[in-house]
Amino acid sequence: MKKFISLLLALTLVLSMAACGGNSGGSSTPAPAGSGTPDTPAPPPAEDVTITVAALASGYEEAYPGMWKEVCDAFTAETGIKVNLICDKNLEDVIGPSMQGGDFPDVIHLATGREKGLTEQFIKDRNIAEITDVLSMTIPGESVKVSDKIVGGFTDTSVTNPYGDGKTYLAPMFYSPCGLFYNAGLFEEKGWTVPATWDEMWELADKAKAEDPNMYLFTYPTTGYFDAFLYALMYSVGGADFFNKATTYSEGIWDTPEAKQCFDIIAKLASYTNPVTPAQANDQDFTQNQQLVLDNKALFMPNGTWIVGEMKDAPRADGFKWGMTALPAAKSGGSGASYCWLEQAWIPAEAPNLDAAKQFVAFLYSDKACAVFAKGGAVQPVPGLTDNLEGDNKLFYAIYDNGADAAMGNFAAYEAVAGLGTVREVFLDPVNGLVNGTLTEDQWISDVKAASDQMRANLMG
Amino acid sequence: MRPSKSRSRFLALCIAPAAILYFLFMILPTFNVFRMSLFERGAYSPKETFVGMANFQALLKDTKFITSMQNTILLIVVVTIVTFFFAIVFAAILTRENIRGQNFFRIVFYIPNILSVVVIAGIFSAIYKPENGMLNSILSLLSGRTVMVLWKDQPMVIVSVIIAMVWQAIGYYMVMYMASMAAVPVTLYESAGLDGAGRLTQFFQLTLPLIWTNIRTTLTFFIISTINMAFLFVKAMVAKGMADVGLSFMYAQKDAGLYGYSMAAGVVIFLFSFLLSALVNWVTRREVLEM
Repeated sequence: MKKFISLLLALTLVLSMAACGGNSGGSSTPAPAGSGTPDTPAPPPAEDVTITVAALASGYEEAYPGMWKEVCDAFTAETGIKVNLICDKNLEDVIGPSMQGGDFPDVIHLATGREKGLTEQFIKDRNIAEITDVLSMTIPGESVKVSDKIVGGFTDTSVTNPYGDGKTYLAPMFYSPCGLFYNAGLFEEKGWTVPATWDEMWELADKAKAEDPNMYLFTYPTTGYFDAFLYALMYSVGGADFFNKATTYSEGIWDTPEAKQCFDIIAKLASYTNPVTPAQANDQDFTQNQQLVLDNKALFMPNGTWIVGEMKDAPRADGFKWGMTALPAAKSGGSGASYCWLEQAWIPAEAPNLDAAKQFVAFLYSDKACAVFAKGGAVQPVPGLTDNLEGDNKLFYAIYDNGADAAMGNFAAYEAVAGLGTVREVFLDPVNGLVNGTLTEDQWISDVKAASDQMRANLMG
Repeated sequence: MRPSKSRSRFLALCIAPAAILYFLFMILPTFNVFRMSLFERGAYSPKETFVGMANFQALLKDTKFITSMQNTILLIVVVTIVTFFFAIVFAAILTRENIRGQNFFRIVFYIPNILSVVVIAGIFSAIYKPENGMLNSILSLLSGRTVMVLWKDQPMVIVSVIIAMVWQAIGYYMVMYMASMAAVPVTLYESAGLDGAGRLTQFFQLTLPLIWTNIRTTLTFFIISTINMAFLFVKAMVAKGMADVGLSFMYAQKDAGLYGYSMAAGVVIFLFSFLLSALVNWVTRREVLEM
């Protein structure tokens, strides 16, 4: 009996402590949140608001360290709203856990199309605050409206209006043209012209092969880089109409001759790809694939303007010079296309300071902010910004002036369904299989069709 | 024995911190995983809908999940067998034979274990590099022609992961077996030698049975850790979709916005590792030999 009582006592002791522990566990959820955002008082007086801004430290921040801090400081100076900045290369890992605990930053600058797909998850969960009204707000410290500062067309695509209902949820921030990068020095030396059609592309491949058996036509860093490639390809083959139908998974779209041409070009390109590519198409080794272009072992690769900075310390062939071209035209006389890669800034639906957050987003388009971002080489869709570019960047951003069509927009958001892969898994990752021969073109097409049917059935909006 | 009241109180106090921490950070989250696997929700969304067993039904039909579990099982079986074979053989050689620089070898074998997986991935990226990588260069030198094996591409990719995992694990287990082999009295070997038992007979009749308890424990331990290590290696070393294992499938589903579905995968992997350990424990049961 005595033993029983002592056991009981011990048990109550443990339980009561567990209960205390449980309580402290409960209150500890906001605690780490508090450490992330030092002061977010519940109903603050207007001038005493502190917003939390989470921004991805990408190549631009690397090129001009302190870029985001400077913009935040300028915002505080203008409005009196304090900013707590979180700027990290692995932003998802830094803000992810506290967001799962219910603590959201006020503004997040993080694009779609990243491997962790955090922004996509927020879109799928309808967890983003609508910012259509920000477009008609006056920019803090200036007398113009936000919409007057954004180049037309940039707030009309699925990149900023994911549900296709004319409402804007994501603010268009930095854009950069994507295309095929090559060694312009080599082309000058050999007297080659950059192919204007895919037929010329295949001819060039044979010419290069005859010159040096180790010189292949194509490589790619990872399959993820095919997103911009595929968008531009669809646009150049079928124009805006086909592009819009394909990105909304229209019924029968993959049976059209345009779609067949896209699949054929990628499959043929796979056969012209340097065979070592898939073995290095992972996060650990992708720079070695980029190195293939620097070493003249592959002529073209799909990439973005950041490649110049990313590979600036890498060894290269004599006379190497970066060149960038749009995707060749589908038929002779047609025009090439280049995908416009657009990063977004957005406000989580559960941001604690919605109004201040909207002011911050508006401020991102002020002359002051644009000037700071430009120092890092980041270009916003604001008129006149590309005029001040220098060096390689001037060349790259001129791609649309040289006759290439700009493709903008991305695959429409669909409700997540168990067993249905992401856009990357369905459309892009199989390219590795095409190159190494574990997947046939027909198999790929039928996989795309099956997945596309499911995506259409679960379209959002 | 009837412990006094104060003694029990003291014991309870001593155990309480660990018990509470264990409950809070192990038991509760585990139950939460089971609960969440019955719901569908995004990782960052507070909204959740109850879907019952639908997640598990979808899992069974998901070819990607089945492939990744096949990869997991393949890695567990092959890595375990190869690692244990080499670890035991090396341990026996280093303890029983007189080899110069025993300590040196012990340290060299152990070093991979203290490296982080990211460092190992970096090392093996240099070894597996298709053009003038270490492995291909050695093979070219030996065969006299240019060898271009794409180690991180199909179909060699799983072999590459196995090699890296074995390389990483051998040292740790070797040191463990060396410790238990050193505890076997030398007199036993001497008398066995007098009875005419050779080295191999001594190994199979004496060493192996006497360290069997140790092997059994480490085996269970190793299998569970391999499930986790396989994920780390695959994630750090190879492209997504090349050699996915169970846990990388789980992560990918979370990133695709299917938190409940990924938890269902987590539940299956949890039960799988639990049952596998039980099975291994049962299969390797032997009568314990006393020295």
